[in-house]
Amino acid sequence: MSKKKNAESSKLSKSTLAALLEEKPKRGRPRSDVPRQNVYVALRQEEKDLMKALVKQLPAQVKRADVADLAISALTGRLEALRQAVAGRSREIPEGVIDMESLYLLWDLNLPDSHSAEKWTSIRVSPQQVIELGRAHGALYAAFGASRSQTFSLALSILAQFLEKNLLADQDLTLEETRQILVFNP
Amino acid sequence: MVNETMTLQTEFDLEGFQADWSRLGMVIQPFSIEADPRFMYISTETRRALSKVSYMVEAAQGASIVVGEVGTGKTMLASWFHNRYRRRPDFVPAQIDEPPKKSGLLLLRRIAAEFRLKTRRATEDQLNVLREFLTEQSAKGILPLVIIDEAHELSDDQFENLRRMLNFRDPEGGKAYQFILLGRPELDINLRGVSDFNDRVATRSSLDPLTPDDTRNLIEFRLLAAGRDANSRPLFTPDSIMPVWKETQGYPRRICWFCQHLCLELLDTDGFQIDGDFVEKFLSDYPEYRHAGRSK
Repeated sequence: MSKKKNAESSKLSKSTLAALLEEKPKRGRPRSDVPRQNVYVALRQEEKDLMKALVKQLPAQVKRADVADLAISALTGRLEALRQAVAGRSREIPEGVIDMESLYLLWDLNLPDSHSAEKWTSIRVSPQQVIELGRAHGALYAAFGASRSQTFSLALSILAQFLEKNLLADQDLTLEETRQILVFNP
Repeated sequence: MVNETMTLQTEFDLEGFQADWSRLGMVIQPFSIEADPRFMYISTETRRALSKVSYMVEAAQGASIVVGEVGTGKTMLASWFHNRYRRRPDFVPAQIDEPPKKSGLLLLRRIAAEFRLKTRRATEDQLNVLREFLTEQSAKGILPLVIIDEAHELSDDQFENLRRMLNFRDPEGGKAYQFILLGRPELDINLRGVSDFNDRVATRSSLDPLTPDDTRNLIEFRLLAAGRDANSRPLFTPDSIMPVWKETQGYPRRICWFCQHLCLELLDTDGFQIDGDFVEKFLSDYPEYRHAGRSK
């Protein structure tokens, strides 16, 4: 009798352990080495859709959660290139760039549809990119009174344009390599 | 010729009619066709040209081209660039509204005069003066900028001299003269004949006629710039915009000219608002204004 009980309990514990050790598809937010921070921005539905669509144009190792980080890196690269181009002048942004729309026109980006409604949402951003977004927002706020949401929308547009021109989906690149390409080839 | 007629007619009307703009809530006439940067309405196309050209100038990329039909705002844009860069400590601009005919030397002398430099009788001497000026200014961190309006009138010889100026480099930073050339669409055609210069063009922009939305925005902007209260009843009702746009085809100068006459008629008839019926009645009473001001 006791032998039977022991056999049953060992079977139960074995199966519980096996269940725990079993490889299951991971649920929820993908883990990253460095914990990401929530950043609140107001996005249009088109922009949310764009974020989803951009994942397909990125290398396989880059996940959907990385899109926001990459967009911010792309904006950082573009603004740095602008600063370097006018290096030695008394302004960081050229005289004729008079508002946010001018930046879209300067870089031949699609102008955002100002009529569609925006909704507040949170994006998960790595600490370094949070700093970069803050810097870009600070510069664009000082120049044109741009909001953080407008800054991030601009970043998304730049990433979308970059991925249209540069086919990265088929390349075997890590997240860091993709970021390097974006920053150093604005 | 048409422009001259337009100006004369406007001057004649204004001379004979002391407009009381204050009755319409304005302190000055809102639709002057003079190139006054205070009244510059910045459409999307203008904004594109401003951002691209100013980027190329400040990044010292050489020559920038802006083309547009008569009355699309090229001269206004030239004045805007001149005004803005004149205030900057790191630029010294020279604006040439109408280049001298044909002679390359005369153009160089004109540029030198605008920079308050000595003029010479030989092309090489004049180029040397301009080269020394570039070196002097570069040493102080200043970039010379030459803005040429009506650039479609430049000859091959003049383009050749501009190209030689583009070749000048200061020994330190490698910066050269910067050029902004504005002209009618013929400018693009003329440039094809001077490939040496054409290859140095960093950016090309075009100023197209305004859309109906932009036309409404231009009218509203001009009224505000002339002092009209934004909260007051609209002077031009929404149904008046389309007839104005149709008559003017969206050319800013024609819009201003036509709206100026509509306003004068409104003042004359003691009215307070311009609506679609008012525009139609105006056109039936004065058929000479129908399609008036068109150069083609």
